[in-house]
Amino acid sequence: MGKKKIVPLGPYHPLLEEPEFFKLYCDGEIVKDIVWETGYNHRGIEKICQTKTFEQVFYVVERICGICSTSHPFAYANAVESIPGVEIPLRAKYIRSIVGELERIHSHLLWVGLAGHFLGYNTVFMWAWKYREPILDMFEIITGNRNSYAMFTIGGVRRDISDEKANQLKKVLEDFLPKLDLLVGAVMDDPVLHARLKNVGTLTAEDIHDFGAVGPTARASGVDIDIRRDDPYAAYDLVDWNVIIAQAGDVFAKAEVRLLEMYESAKIIQQCIEALKKDNNDEIKVKVKDIPPGTGIGRAEAPRGEVFHYVKSDGGNSPVRHKIRAPSYTCIPTFRRSCVGGTISDAAICTAAVDPCYCCTERMAQVYDHSTGKKIMNAAELIKLSQAKTRELRKKVKL
Amino acid sequence: MDIEKFNEDIKAKFPSIKTIEVINIKRLMIYIPRELLLKIADHLFNELGMRYIIVTAMDSKEGFEIIYHFSDDSSGWIINLNVIIPREKPEIESLTPVIYGVEWIEREIMDILGIKFLDHPKPERFIFAESWPECEYPYRRDYKQEKE
Amino acid sequence: MGLKDKFFKKSLWLFHLSAGSCNNCDIEILDCLTPKFDVERFGMKLVGSVRHADVLLVTGIVTKKTKKRVLEIYEQAPKPIVVVAVGACPCTGGIFASSYNFAGPLDKVIPVDVYIPGCPPKPEAMLAGIVKFLNKK
Repeated sequence: MGKKKIVPLGPYHPLLEEPEFFKLYCDGEIVKDIVWETGYNHRGIEKICQTKTFEQVFYVVERICGICSTSHPFAYANAVESIPGVEIPLRAKYIRSIVGELERIHSHLLWVGLAGHFLGYNTVFMWAWKYREPILDMFEIITGNRNSYAMFTIGGVRRDISDEKANQLKKVLEDFLPKLDLLVGAVMDDPVLHARLKNVGTLTAEDIHDFGAVGPTARASGVDIDIRRDDPYAAYDLVDWNVIIAQAGDVFAKAEVRLLEMYESAKIIQQCIEALKKDNNDEIKVKVKDIPPGTGIGRAEAPRGEVFHYVKSDGGNSPVRHKIRAPSYTCIPTFRRSCVGGTISDAAICTAAVDPCYCCTERMAQVYDHSTGKKIMNAAELIKLSQAKTRELRKKVKL
Repeated sequence: MDIEKFNEDIKAKFPSIKTIEVINIKRLMIYIPRELLLKIADHLFNELGMRYIIVTAMDSKEGFEIIYHFSDDSSGWIINLNVIIPREKPEIESLTPVIYGVEWIEREIMDILGIKFLDHPKPERFIFAESWPECEYPYRRDYKQEKE
Repeated sequence: MGLKDKFFKKSLWLFHLSAGSCNNCDIEILDCLTPKFDVERFGMKLVGSVRHADVLLVTGIVTKKTKKRVLEIYEQAPKPIVVVAVGACPCTGGIFASSYNFAGPLDKVIPVDVYIPGCPPKPEAMLAGIVKFLNKK
């Protein structure tokens, strides 16, 4: 073995929302192994859930992650409602789907922006986040808050979407779609991005199966899974939409899947709005008295993949065991296949490609480590390295 | 996937399965003895090509209950393997030789419940701080949280 | 002229420290930088190291594993530094106060100058918090 250098990727990230800590074991420029250190963000949510009532758990699971703050309540609702076998009103189903899909759009835009920043395209970052704002404003109109929406409850939703709000939402989407075209064009037709992202961090379908990776990470490698279609919940089997799949498995394919998924989300929301307007029934919630003893398993497709909730009830007020699996938990270990063998300057975008969400994973990110005492490169430098590579490539393709 | 056929097949293949129970719509729980775990997991994961989801562990009346969740994505069924191990001797074979992805969750369960996974490639502390006391497992029933 | 006027009269540089947060406050801080709220027009920006910063923004509960690191980062910071507790979690512990991994509210660990409550606080609230601090005599 040659001389190995340890490059800590992290500890803190100047622009990514959460701190993270990877140790990259490198031989020269090439990454040989990657080790993840965790536990900084462990908040013991599963244990807290066991001390709250079934109704209160919604507000705890919402705060597992601020970006997926609908997906976790979604999966939890599916799990809890399956224990007594509650069928929620149709209107509630549509409203749940609207909130879920709006969240997907805002989360994917966030990812596109951050990925752009990693590559040195700060214009993309600013654009994407600018287009995200009307969506967040819409959230505020519908749910009352920009994040952590508190929309869900056992047996339905807590707030109705009136026709007036539905029209507003429709208008926001109409304005958003042309901007999305622009953004998709800017990303998909850029020769530098092609050179930078294609054949980088490739994952095969076998890798996906080995790690159990889900969501856009899996779909970009040709693995056809989407919980919304495979195990339908809410209104997803009542509307017409497609699962986006790409075959290449590289970072570019992952970006492609996410960008095109936003169109599908918009399509779902538009159909749900039409259905809401036609539906004259005002019922948005059924009353659920007790949760009988039993086991409920619920899942939902979060922007990053499948969220899994296991709830065990003994007939009391609160769950006796609540297990949560966020998509990043199985997607992050895939770095061991996607980063290894690549260069250090590609590592930043490879890790960003699965849209890792550390607070989900640990349900539990801040690190400062002097212990290695070897050559230290922090994330800022790594991003700089990544951006420098893009600049070189840009010169090569003469832009 | 036809669930009736799946039930018959798996019973024929592994006669030592204790019981099979449909716990909910599209949710199947298979109670198995500990010895069967590696074989049946290998069958589900490699031969039937099911996707591994996660492992849940809890402290229940019978002992430590470990549930392995698998998803059959073509039909939407979730197949759960339920293993109960005695509280006095909390150890079980690691599933890492079969499924690469279980490494993290097994380490997490080691931390939170103190269950030992035999032949785990990296049996180190996963989520707790260096200062966390050795034999304190917050998800056990007898755990008392200190008040600050 | 008070000390505050002397040390914080130019554009503030921010350092963002996530102790154990749920992401909400963190993305709202990032939101402040993007076109809608755009604090960069005041020359405020996120910096990569706390050694360059005038303001330390802390989000999330301080977990037992991060406590040491929070202290370490505070010690590295050039003084005077404004410590801002963003969100309910660093202020009080919020919904996670009963967690076994909770090491106490932020002001039990390091001195805090500004508290911005909310789960998450809106970007406007964060900006208002900083402005209030600067205008306080």
